[in-house]
Amino acid sequence: MIRHLAGRLGQALVASFGVLTIVFFVMRLSGDPTLLLVPEGATAEQIAALRHALGFDRPLFVQYLSYLADLARLDLGESLVQRSGVAGIVAERIPYTVELAAGALVVALGIGIPAGVAMAVWRGGMVERLLAGFVLTGQSLPTFWSGILLILLFGVHLRWLPTSGADGLSSLVMPAIALGALTMSTFARMTRIAVLDELSRDYVSAARARGLSLGAAVARHVLRNAAIPVVTIAALEVGNLLAGAVIVETVFAWPGIGQLAIQSIAARDFLIVQTVVLFVSVVYIGMNLLADIAYAVIDPRIRLDR
Amino acid sequence: MRRLLLALPVLALTAGAAFAQPKDTLVVDMPGDVATMDPHLQWDTESYTVYRNIFDNLVTRDVSGKIVPQVATAWKYTDDKTIVFDLRSDITFQDGSKLTPEDVAFSIRRIINPDFKSPQLSQFDQIASAEVTGPAQVTLKTKTTYPALMAQLVKLSIVPKAYVEKLGDQKFNQEPMGSGPYRLRAWQRGVQSTLDAVDTHWRGKPPFKTVTFRAVPDIPTRLADLRTGRADITYGLSPDDAEAMKAEKALQLLTVPTERIAYLFVNPTATATKDKRVRQAIAMAIDRESIISALQQGYAKPVNIVLTPANFGYIADIPGWPHDPAKARALIKAAGAEGATIKLITSPAYDRRLNEAVQQMLGDVGLKVEISMTDQPTFLKRRQGTPEEAESLSQGRWSCACQDADGVIFPLFRSGSIWSKMSNPAFDAEVDAARVTLDEAKRLSHYRKAFEILREEVPGVGLFQNVAIYLARKELKWTPTANEAFFVTDMKWQ
Repeated sequence: MIRHLAGRLGQALVASFGVLTIVFFVMRLSGDPTLLLVPEGATAEQIAALRHALGFDRPLFVQYLSYLADLARLDLGESLVQRSGVAGIVAERIPYTVELAAGALVVALGIGIPAGVAMAVWRGGMVERLLAGFVLTGQSLPTFWSGILLILLFGVHLRWLPTSGADGLSSLVMPAIALGALTMSTFARMTRIAVLDELSRDYVSAARARGLSLGAAVARHVLRNAAIPVVTIAALEVGNLLAGAVIVETVFAWPGIGQLAIQSIAARDFLIVQTVVLFVSVVYIGMNLLADIAYAVIDPRIRLDR
Repeated sequence: MRRLLLALPVLALTAGAAFAQPKDTLVVDMPGDVATMDPHLQWDTESYTVYRNIFDNLVTRDVSGKIVPQVATAWKYTDDKTIVFDLRSDITFQDGSKLTPEDVAFSIRRIINPDFKSPQLSQFDQIASAEVTGPAQVTLKTKTTYPALMAQLVKLSIVPKAYVEKLGDQKFNQEPMGSGPYRLRAWQRGVQSTLDAVDTHWRGKPPFKTVTFRAVPDIPTRLADLRTGRADITYGLSPDDAEAMKAEKALQLLTVPTERIAYLFVNPTATATKDKRVRQAIAMAIDRESIISALQQGYAKPVNIVLTPANFGYIADIPGWPHDPAKARALIKAAGAEGATIKLITSPAYDRRLNEAVQQMLGDVGLKVEISMTDQPTFLKRRQGTPEEAESLSQGRWSCACQDADGVIFPLFRSGSIWSKMSNPAFDAEVDAARVTLDEAKRLSHYRKAFEILREEVPGVGLFQNVAIYLARKELKWTPTANEAFFVTDMKWQ
């Protein structure tokens, strides 16, 4: 178990390092931020002077080595645009994204799993058809559009919820729904397939023969067995939630790392972009690792040492 | 989820309460967050909008655009390169300390110090020195005769020397403190900045107790905020957004023609536009009136040259090229450029429809325009690169934030400037001469000659004077200005 984990951790480190290197060079492919920072009328000499002061006139590889050296000292550097520590800037935004992703996960699990179970149990009926339509809607609406629709309905028309910002639970509701919709649909579909698969097994017939109602059989036996594929998906979906947060945060003016990433990419604030990407990749890799461990806990037949 | 649902009605009530806010506050929705609170660092619109309310400026502009006293009460040139400022002595910073000539000299030295790496350096680097020369006096020396100095100083915020030195630059950027009518209460990054009024301010009690600047990037979301009363004023809207909001009874549109000029760059040294006849034909092919009425929905003013009437040096009686497609087609034929393919380079920062309109209008007179889109930094690199890299055409929206022709046609068309692809000694001589004299009549006559050369050579076509659009609650009284300044003290509830 421990050896397996150490191996996975090693892979995770290599993957993060790879991501970091790619982002470093790709960001710099189309030039540095000097031109975006100077006033419009600046002369070539003034631009060159600022470029030199910021260190962008050094060869790319030298910049890369100096970045790695700083990173080894756990120094994430200073933002070019905001002129303050990158670690602090990103750390300030992370709680917002975590809150949003958690809210979306609550929406996704809270609606997706019951909907999936219901679709499996009442297969072929009106319930399944209605729910299937609902799930398909959640899956096909792009968030930049569904977000605006939510704002217009609940914010402008009904005035139930604030139209933007991040003041407490009330402002979390709409972004969480917008972000969670796609994941909800994925959960619903996966749960439906997994439960259907289990329902056709002999142990279910045996349980029913013992006099258990369908509901009790599902609750007691089927759900547990159907959980494994759903857990795998859950781990991957966290990654998707982080990616989706980029758009949802912009629409709802939610101050998380997604919005920060967009602004920093536009302003070529390299160090912030690199740090955000590093954070997201570490989360993604970490979640997969967690899913691995969770299998073993849910299903004792799975042994991590091969 | 059930808990969330139960919470909904309660939330609705609390959200509802926010609409009936007492009117001693102002909420501004901005397209982004403040980059730096230090007024000597970034000067993007959002940072500028917020920190200019925290600090006083050496001089400022009144609603008509005239440069008027603020921290300085009077100024006079003792020679062409030396200017003496008399300063107020009744100004205090928000920590109670007095604003002294030392603070003014320090502010100038700080921003022109290359080690400080201010992105604004190029606006102030003609200043050679700033010395305290009296108990309420500061003397500036410029490297050369520099007529745009006063226009540049409009943008100079005065920072407290002792406070900045005590905190250090980085901390000062987080906890700015100035002598302006508002002090920063809290800066929640990515969310909002909250400013409190300084009731004892020397310019009088500010109009709102608190002002909140929120960061709301998406336009539909900002519009929703205005419609629900969550915000009182916003900017960064397109003419189409403005038209859509006209029906909202609780809202008003505030507009002002700015010093920002929309123009079409036409490359005079490379590609098919090298031929002067082709450039003149392009000027005649562009239907500026349709652009203003159809694309800008009337939110723009016609111009005859590459400069707006809000700038010093605008020459009203130089005729613009008339819209004459038939003549344009004939000129292109005469130049042998019929059917030639030319490239228009652009980025997402520029109006896509305007590019397409230009493409269509030039297509009608026999030029095939290919639109080449890249990201903004790449676009800038090409536009500022060699004449070949800059291709034939590109649109631009230029503002020097100095309301002077020197800040517009000098960088755009003077040979040697990164933006200019033109090399015309007669033009260079005129703009150089206008730069080294303080005599306004002389400067105007140089600019007249310069614009006459530009009319003949067509290295660019002025499209329109940009109009700034603000959307606000109906009860807000405010007259926006040509330099797009956002001084909260000029606003009030009525």
